[in-house]
Amino acid sequence: MQKEEIIQDAGEIPVAASAKYNESIHEDLTAKLFFISSITYFFIVGIIAVLIAAKFVMPTLLGTVPQLTYGRLRPLHVNGMLFGWLLACDMALMYYVVPRLCGVKLWSEKLGVATNILWNFIILSAVVSFLMGWNQGWEYAELPFFLDVCVVIAWIMFGANLFLTIANRKYQTMYVTLWYAMGTVLWTAFVYLTGNFATLFTTGVNQANLNWMYVHNAVGLIFTPVGLAIAYYFIPKASNTPLYSHKLSMIGFWSLAFVYVWTGAHHMLHGPISQWLQTITVVFSVMLLVPVWAAVYNFFATMQGQWHQLRENVSLKFLMSGVVFYLLTCFQGPMHSLHVVNAIVSKTDWIPGHAHMAVLGAFSFFAIAGTYYAVPRVFKTNLYSTALGNWSFWLFLVGGLGFFVTLWLGGFWQGWQWNNPAIPFIDTVVALKPVWTFRLFSGFFMFGGIVTFAYNILATIIGAKGQGVETQAAAA
Amino acid sequence: MLSKADYSAPFFVAAALVLFFIGGLLTTVVPPLIDTSWSKPFENNDPANGPTGKLRQLNEQELKGRQIYIREGCWYCHTQQVRTILADTKRYGWRGVDAPVSTPDEFVYDSPHLFGTKRTGPDLARVGGKYNAQWHKTHFKNPADLVPGSIMPPFPWIANDPQELDALVAYLQTLGRAKNWRPDNDYEK
Repeated sequence: MQKEEIIQDAGEIPVAASAKYNESIHEDLTAKLFFISSITYFFIVGIIAVLIAAKFVMPTLLGTVPQLTYGRLRPLHVNGMLFGWLLACDMALMYYVVPRLCGVKLWSEKLGVATNILWNFIILSAVVSFLMGWNQGWEYAELPFFLDVCVVIAWIMFGANLFLTIANRKYQTMYVTLWYAMGTVLWTAFVYLTGNFATLFTTGVNQANLNWMYVHNAVGLIFTPVGLAIAYYFIPKASNTPLYSHKLSMIGFWSLAFVYVWTGAHHMLHGPISQWLQTITVVFSVMLLVPVWAAVYNFFATMQGQWHQLRENVSLKFLMSGVVFYLLTCFQGPMHSLHVVNAIVSKTDWIPGHAHMAVLGAFSFFAIAGTYYAVPRVFKTNLYSTALGNWSFWLFLVGGLGFFVTLWLGGFWQGWQWNNPAIPFIDTVVALKPVWTFRLFSGFFMFGGIVTFAYNILATIIGAKGQGVETQAAAA
Repeated sequence: MLSKADYSAPFFVAAALVLFFIGGLLTTVVPPLIDTSWSKPFENNDPANGPTGKLRQLNEQELKGRQIYIREGCWYCHTQQVRTILADTKRYGWRGVDAPVSTPDEFVYDSPHLFGTKRTGPDLARVGGKYNAQWHKTHFKNPADLVPGSIMPPFPWIANDPQELDALVAYLQTLGRAKNWRPDNDYEK
């Protein structure tokens, strides 16, 4: 009963029938540009990703060129994937979703286009900076100061556009996706300022504490809320099923708002940082299970009786495997923060396995699902190939699982070896070589996923004009 | 109570920021105020309180070396922290003497901090003085020559630039030396 009231209230809710083609008040120009930019970077940075994985197997590969050394390509890989691909694609999806949930056009397409141009300038400048070694020395905050300022400006442009759209909304009640979108804009602003500006005025452990607050919340208060915004919109939308519980989504949202920010210091467990702060961070890290399980239960319950749809629906495949990866990665996180577990896995190859499950397995899967759903709609056409979409899913899934599981096993083993000081360090390096080889092959699969996904979207966009006309004619 | 946020955007914004700032302020602004060791440089003259010594600021050449360390991303594969884990103090010790645990007062002058998150290579918090300059210079030419099986890449553009090489080695030799923890100061041959 209550479920239905919410549906009535929220106007054009994700639960209503799928958006009809060619019947839209939305221009979506900004969304289109951000889709194209983000997928282009996904492909280019994917090449860098495979290259640095190969360097673990062949350390001298391209090693005589300073610009192509591991230490300069790694920040390019991390920042390129986080900000060039994932955040840009998340922004595209917000430009798509928010006007639809508000029942009005985006506040300003011009501002949106300007945001896209500035964003591309930032990413391309970042590539040059990293290859030249202009690195500020903070993880996730490597960008030179000038570009940090540009990011802040771009974020204000993005946030203003969303908030003004929401202020003009036709439907009074805001669906949960809108809260997550607004939360992302607000929290990101402060988290980013902490990690890129407040750090400038501090040194040593104090600075590290701010840096980890930023690094942790770059995932926890940027990619998590915007990822959940996407999942909350597209799971009901793609399955044409109402969300299971509005109340549960509230519990998840407000507990996330309160709990996440406390946990940054868990990156320094056992390190040179106060014991009492370590205790606080452990307690709050375990509490992270609350917002995660609330959201995951809601998604699973929504799918009750609808699982058969996964067979046909590429978006749903990505969405629901993303939910499973989200559940797993957010179970690992709190467990890592327990001192006994941390003593084994911290600083090992387990950690990249964990981080890739969060950023690729959960949040990129959500973004890919949203892209498969939204791109045909903004270009008013049909997806180029569902079969190719299924290929991209299986390549990502097999490559991703291969990557995650090998690094967990290898990292766990590495951690045990490190805890025996009688084993020389170099022996623990040599022991991991088969793991890194397997990781490289998993990387080939993941890159295959990127190629098939990017090609499918590209072909959809290129073929859009002709098909759009046909659909229109058919409709008339 | 929070259900007002369903339809009131201003209320939503206020609630989301208040909840965020409680934890945000308590975990970033408050800790350095409570824990003064975060900002007080290490100094100890009484052997009864553990290793003696005094933290000093890096000179111009060492700072230049530190910049190279940052530029080449050394800190992506090498941490700089001996953790409160027994195996860390043993592994990064020296000839049977355990390495002292890293404490906040040893890093007061560090900016950017270089604690690191990943150990693809060994921790470097106490590497200063362990190997002589010649060892480091040979090592940067091609690490696998000195340490068979190493996957650290060669750095020919540093190895062939005497100024950069000297600066980088000078920086590495300062690491972990604020605490005078080893019985003698000789180098690994």
